[in-house]
Formats: sequence, structure tokens, C-alpha cells
Amino acid sequence: MSRERHIIILALLALLPITALAESPTAAALSYTCAGCHGTDGSSVGPSSPSIAGMDPEIFIDAMQDYKVDKRNATIMNRIAKAYSDEQIKGMAWYFAKQKLELLPQSTDTQLVELGTTLHDKYCEKCHEEGGRSGDTGTLAGQWMPYLDYAMEDFIAGRRDYPRKMKRKVDAAIKAEGEQAMPALIHYYGSQHNSAQKEASHE
Amino acid sequence: MNKKIAGPLAWFFLGATLLFLYILPAHSAVEVMTVLGEEAPPGFDPVTGKRVIPTVRCLKCHGDESEQTDVDDDGNEIEIYIPPHKFEDSVHGKRRCAECHANITRVPHRQEPEVVVGCIECHRQTWDANKDKPDNEFKRLGVVIEQIEKYQDSVHARPEDEDDPSVLNAGCYDCHDAHNIGTLGSHQRDEHRLENPEVCGECHRKQRNKYKKSVHGKAVMEDGDSEAAVCSDCHTMHEIDSPEGDKVMLQITTNCGNCHEESRQTYRSSYHGQVNKLGYTHTAKCYDCHGGHNVLAIKDPASAVHEENRLETCRQCHEDAPEGFIGFHPHGNANDFEKYPVMWITAKFMQALIIGILAFFWVHVMLWFYREYQDRKAGKSFAHPKPGDDTVYIRRFTATWRWIHLLFAVSTMILVLSGTTLLFSHTAWASFVMDMLGGPKVEAILHRTAATIWLSVFLVHFFIAMTNIVRNRKTFRWFGPSSMVPNLQDLRDVGAMFSWFFGRRERPSFDRFSYWQKFDYWAPFWGAAVIGFSGLMLFIPTLTASFLPGWVFNIATIVHAEEALLATMFLFTVHFFNSHFRPDRFPMSTIMFTGAVPLEEFKFEHRLEYERLKESGELEKMLVKPPSRTMEKGSQALAAVLIFAGLGLLTLVFIGYMTMPG
Ligand code: HEC
Ligand code: HEC
Repeated sequence: MSRERHIIILALLALLPITALAESPTAAALSYTCAGCHGTDGSSVGPSSPSIAGMDPEIFIDAMQDYKVDKRNATIMNRIAKAYSDEQIKGMAWYFAKQKLELLPQSTDTQLVELGTTLHDKYCEKCHEEGGRSGDTGTLAGQWMPYLDYAMEDFIAGRRDYPRKMKRKVDAAIKAEGEQAMPALIHYYGSQHNSAQKEASHE
Repeated sequence: MNKKIAGPLAWFFLGATLLFLYILPAHSAVEVMTVLGEEAPPGFDPVTGKRVIPTVRCLKCHGDESEQTDVDDDGNEIEIYIPPHKFEDSVHGKRRCAECHANITRVPHRQEPEVVVGCIECHRQTWDANKDKPDNEFKRLGVVIEQIEKYQDSVHARPEDEDDPSVLNAGCYDCHDAHNIGTLGSHQRDEHRLENPEVCGECHRKQRNKYKKSVHGKAVMEDGDSEAAVCSDCHTMHEIDSPEGDKVMLQITTNCGNCHEESRQTYRSSYHGQVNKLGYTHTAKCYDCHGGHNVLAIKDPASAVHEENRLETCRQCHEDAPEGFIGFHPHGNANDFEKYPVMWITAKFMQALIIGILAFFWVHVMLWFYREYQDRKAGKSFAHPKPGDDTVYIRRFTATWRWIHLLFAVSTMILVLSGTTLLFSHTAWASFVMDMLGGPKVEAILHRTAATIWLSVFLVHFFIAMTNIVRNRKTFRWFGPSSMVPNLQDLRDVGAMFSWFFGRRERPSFDRFSYWQKFDYWAPFWGAAVIGFSGLMLFIPTLTASFLPGWVFNIATIVHAEEALLATMFLFTVHFFNSHFRPDRFPMSTIMFTGAVPLEEFKFEHRLEYERLKESGELEKMLVKPPSRTMEKGSQALAAVLIFAGLGLLTLVFIGYMTMPG
């Protein structure tokens, strides 16, 4: 082979990484596959799957990684998560974080909501800021109540690791209000949908 | 393909590919990070992709006044409260918490958080990035950088345990309340001053407890006086080191004077302070007498310098100090007539003496120079013998007197050098000379040895002179030409000299000793008495104070120094001019070293004596051969060395005198 050809091959090799990159699907494209359960752009329309739009990307990654290694109790997600690389998970996390969370109203008990409000302010607000709105501890406000119920049960039953220091507060809330405590909190979170959240932020 | 263009074309292709794909992008401005085409969401840094934690998020827990504590992972209660208004008000108030607490990447803390803040790194980076900015916004940061450097050399920056370099004796935020750092002149500064004893006392408990009872401590800790001395005023803020080292001892002594300015100045004009100023620490320092952490007001009966306790304090160093020591004024001030009248009067008298004598003789010198120069130009003078001439010489000084003069000259110079090094301890040359000499202890020995030689020479001379007089008592005339005793003729000669200076008469003639030669002779007499006696008192203070009150040391110090200055300035200006520098003699005269004068010169300078000797027939007996070449050359070399040494000393004294503080 002539020297010129060597050089041209070298130049083509230099181009290679770019072409390789172009072949991988974008994070947005990957995210469409989740829409079936989590709704368009992550705003779930039914209680069977939680909403993941506007979800904190680090919480998202934590969740997916935990599913991947079966660290977190799941019905389906552990199987789904295993199909994605770290980079893909991060890309989707960033994609979903930017999506607007559309919430549907859920039926709640006024008395429980009231009790939940006080409990939340006392025990949960410091970590789950602004009534549990999407933030660095995940999304509670407006989340589907059955999902929250299932999440809390997992925590309490030890199927899911408590975040550091959360247990103390959950225990304290239960100690204060007994059986009612968790439903109250969940009703409180469930009572918040888009319009309710807007009101809260105007305060 | 045409082989000729294929090669260059291939190279061009490769070059362009590398340039567009790798080189140019690397040089383009900050790049936004993407993951699979996705940019970072709000709340994350678009370039690094890392979370940006806003301060309010931290203050959610740490700024809650109603819940100031939390529990750590072991269940221990810990303080977590950072007063938000204080922080916002502080110099770092616009920074996000996590900018300093860079190890905090998630909130709420996923692991027990550690406080590791890279104060130094951040300040350095900020300084490096901004130091060349034209506005002064970052000027103060320069001071911080200086302090950092000092800190890094300090004891606090050294590891607590040699085997574990990670734990330092004290880090920045062990002392600095980092959430409440004020700018210069801010209210935080005052608060910090008042807190300073407690902050340092956190580790230095013993010292804090002593300080608390001191005059400074009471003012600060009881009366809330933020102007009174706190730890850092004496120990500095960042240059802290063990007070066993010279550097720190000197520094603390200096720092006391930042408030007690006059005391520092008066201290530095005493022997204790002069030695200290030169960088040596064996003499008494402020805290040796007044106490350090436990310093009390002098009038407090418990004070170490209270009259009742003072002798005991002196005896810490001056072991057998007699009662007389109590009367010494370690801070005596010759400028303060109210408090120290005797010192004031002595100093003023000595200064008047110096000014009077020097004024007279300097005028004398200048006029003489002018007139002799004119005369010489007009050929009204003698001619210097040329080498090879068989000039006739006359014997003027015997070997004994020449030796006496030489010993006197050398010991005087040693005395001047060693003495003025202390007297002018404020100058840079003094520190240098002191180090060269080997420190104040060597200097003291040198000074005393030279003084002993000087006094011995003086006494030997006195003895010889007296013996001569006694031996010739039949013929010796006290007011005769061979006597050094001033007489009426001298007074007339002064008048005649001045008339000559102003061109009103011819140059007067002199006998064996002219009036200025007599003055040159008597000046050391008075000097020997004054300098010698005062020096002796200071040499043996214990003996002196056993029969004299301590304040005589103050007087002796003034007299000794001023008289020595007078002697120095007189010798190295007036005497040098009279004997060496005037036009007839320039650049030097070797008469005092060879002992012989060319007859011509003798005739010219001492015509009366010449005529007298000629008449009596004694002249013949006194004529000698010219000094040998070796003698002449040797004498010239010696004279040159002494003259240069003298002028050198004069320069040093001049520098010292002109820059004297106060
Ligand atoms: C078959 C339905 C289904 C699909 C498809 C699906 N999920 Fe899920 N997802 C769930 C369910 C159900 C849960 C609740 C956990 C569980 O039961 O596994 C969940 C939970 C999650 C959570 C945790 C939410 C939280 O609040 O902690 C994340 C994150 C998530 N899914 C991401 C994804 C992503 C990303 C995809 C697409 C790649 C996806 N899911 C696809 C059903 C689905
Ligand atoms: C010390 C901080 C802290 C406190 C207090 C706290 N939480 Fe949490 N909570 C977290 C964190 C962090 C997460 C995210 C969990 C993860 O990443 O697994 C979380 C997650 C949750 C979740 C699961 C959300 C999801 O999408 O799966 C629920 C439900 C929850 N918290 C409820 C509560 C309630 C109710 C309280 C008050 C009684 C409370 N938390 C108090 C830190 C806290």
C-alpha cells in the first residue's frame, strides 16, 4: 500500500468516533419507550405507574440503578432497567427532568388531608420541600396515591432501604398519629394537582 | 492518481480532519455538556453537569432557628444552625454553601457530612484569576493571600502528630467563624475581637485563664472593650509560632509597642531594648518584667513591676541586684521633663556641649581651609620633600608617644564601633555589624576589652607625663612651651588665627603645641573622665547600685553615649582636618607615625619653637635623618587605614544620628 493511502486511512480512522456516536439513539428517543406506562413525557395517566416527568435526575438515576441490581422492590422496573447502560439512564434522567409534570386530580379525604398537612410540615417538609413537590428527594406532591402507598409500605416493611434519617421522621409521625399517619400524608400528597400547586407557590 | 499531488493532498486531508474534529473544538469556548443529545436540566451546571445546590436549600435545615440541633449517625446531638442573616451579611454572603463545602453534592446528606473546606485553595484560585483586574474589588484578597502564606509557615499549619500529616494543629475555620467573616471595619470585626480569647482559649486553656485575670483580659472579657489587647494583637493572627523561638519573642515585644508606643520607644533607648532591637532576646523583654498573659497595671499590688515586687523581678536576671536597682527607670525618657527632670537636664546639657564644640570647630575648620588654600595657591607655604631629597628632619614624637597614640586610636575605634552598634540599634547597619561581631555578648566583651586598653593607655600616659614633670621639676614650666597646660598665649593665638582666616594678618607662628593641638589633647582627658567613669558604672551595675540610686544608670547611659558621640564626631572631623585634610597636609600627615617632621614644615608650623631651639642650640641635637622608606610607606599605609576606618565610622554614626527615632 502506498504512503498516501496510509494517511487517508488514518484520517478516516480519526472520523470514526463521530460516526459511532451518531448511531446511538438519543435520550429523548429512548424515553419514548417508557411512555406506554409512564404517560407521554412521563406524566402518567393512571395509578398503576408513577409519574416521572420533572423528576429529579439524581433520584431518577438512583431508582434505575437500584432496580438494575434488584436493590429496590419492583413489579416490572427491575427487568426494564437492566436493559439500559449508565449513560442511557443518565440521558433519560436529564430528559425527564425537563418535562413538565401534568397531574390529574385524585379523590381525597379532607380530614385526612388536613392531618397530612400538619404531619408533612412537621416531619417531612425539611427534606421534601414545598409540600413534596418534585425536588432532590423525588416527587411526592400529586404523585399517584397507590404508588405512594406501595412505596411507604416497602419502606416500612423493609423491602426498600430508607433514605438516611428519613426513618426517624416516619417513625415519629406514626408514633404521633398511629395508623392514620401514612394515609393522611398520602392523601395530602394526592390532594395536590397542578392548580393546587400553583396556589401553593403563590403563597 | 498523479503521484506528485497525491502525497500533499493526503496530508491536507488528514490535517483538515484533525483540525476540525479535535483541535478546533478543544479551543472553542466553554462547551455545554450533553448526554445522548440531552443537555443538563435546570438546577444543574450546563458545563459540568453537576448539581447546583442553592443556599436556601441548605438553610432549610441549617437556617431554622427553631431547630438548631440534629443528631449524627451515632445519635449524638450536634449543632447545625448557621444564622442566615449573619451569613448573608458576611463577606461570603453571596456564595453558595456548596461552593466552599464542595464535598456536599447531594441534599439531604446521603452520608454523614464531613466539614472539609478548601479555604486556601479557593482564595488562591480566586486571587490568581482576579489579581490583575484594574478595579480594587479584589485588593483585600491580596491581604488574605499574604496571611495564608504566613499561616502556612506557622505552628498551626504543622501536623498535630508527625506520623499523621492530615491533622493540623489548627485549620482556618478552627479560628475563623467562617459563616460570619466581616470585611475590614465591619461590626463582625469588633465581635471577633471580643471572641478572640475564647476562640484561642478553646485549645490554649491555661493561657486563656491567666489572660482572663490580666488587665487586658478584664477589659475585653468583662468590660467588652474591643480596643484592649486580645491574643492576636501580641501573637499576630497568622504568623503564630511557639514563643520559645527568637522570632516570636522579638515579634511579641514589638507588638506590645503597637499600643504602648511610647513605652516601646523608651525601652528601645535602653540597653535591654537596644539588644532586643538588634534581634537578640537574652535581655529583658516587655513580658519578662510586666508579665505576659497575666500582665497587670503597674499600680496593682500584684503586678510584677509594682514597687514592692520590682526588685524580685529584676533578680530574675540580675541575681544579686541590690536595692538600688529599684530606682532605675527602665523606660526613662530624656525628652520628658515632667517625669525625668534630671535625665532631661543631663541630655540637654550634653547636647548643648556637642553643638557648641562642634559649631566652633567646624567654623574653625572651614575658615582655616579657605585661608590655607588661598595661601597655598599664593605660594605662601612650605614645600613637601620629594622622595630622594636628603631633607633634614626633626624629631617630634618619641616612640612611646607614637605607640600610645596608635593604641589609643585603635581602641577608640573599636569602642566607637561596638558602642554605636547598640546606640544606633535602629539602623540596618547595626544589626549587620552586631551579627558580624558575634552578638551582644561578644560585643560586650569587645567593648570592655577596648575600654580597658584605652583606660590603661590613658593611665600609662598620665604616669609618664607626671614622671617627666617630676624629673624635670626644677626646669619644668607649667605654662611653658613644652607644657600642655593652656595659657594666655593660646587665647591670643586663637584671635591671631581668626585674624589670619579673615586675611587681616599673616599666618601666626606657634611654639611646640598650638591651641588646637592642646584641645585635641585635653578633649580625651575630659572624655576619659566622663566616658570612663560612666562606662565603669554601667560595667559593674551591681556594685554601682549598692551605693548609688538606680537612676544614675539612666544618667550614665546618656552621658556615656553623648560624650562618646561628641568624641567620635570631633576626632573624625576636626582632628582629621587639623592633622590630615587641610591643604598643607592633604591627604595625610604621618608625623604621628614616623615621629619626625621635615625641618621646612616644622619651621613653618612651629616657628617659635624652631627659633627657640635654634637659639638654645638644642636644635642640632634634635635633627634626624629622614625616616626610612619602609618607615615612611608603613606609616602612610597605617595612617590611611586609620583614616578610612575613622571616616567609615563617622558615616555610620552620621546615618545613626540622622535616623534616630523620637
Ligand atoms: C410496563 C410498564 C412500565 C414501563 C414500560 C416502564 N415503567 Fe417505569 N415504572 C413502572 C412501574 C409499575 C413502576 C413502579 C415500580 C414497580 O412496580 O416496578 C415504575 C417505576 C419507575 C421509576 C421509579 C419512580 C419513582 O418515583 O421512584 C422510574 C424512575 C421509572 N419507572 C422509569 C422508567 C423508564 C425510564 C422507563 C422507560 C425506559 C420505564 N420506567 C418504563 C412501570 C413501567
Ligand atoms: C431526612 C430527609 C427525609 C425526611 C425527613 C423524609 N424523607 Fe422521604 N425521602 C427522602 C429521600 C432522600 C427520598 C428519596 C429516596 C430514594 O432516593 O430512594 C425520599 C423518598 C420518599 C418517598 C418515596 C418516593 C418515591 O418516588 O419512591 C416517600 C413516599 C417518602 N419519602 C415519604 C416521606 C414522608 C411521608 C416523610 C415524612 C414522614 C418523609 N419522607 C421524610 C428523604 C426524607
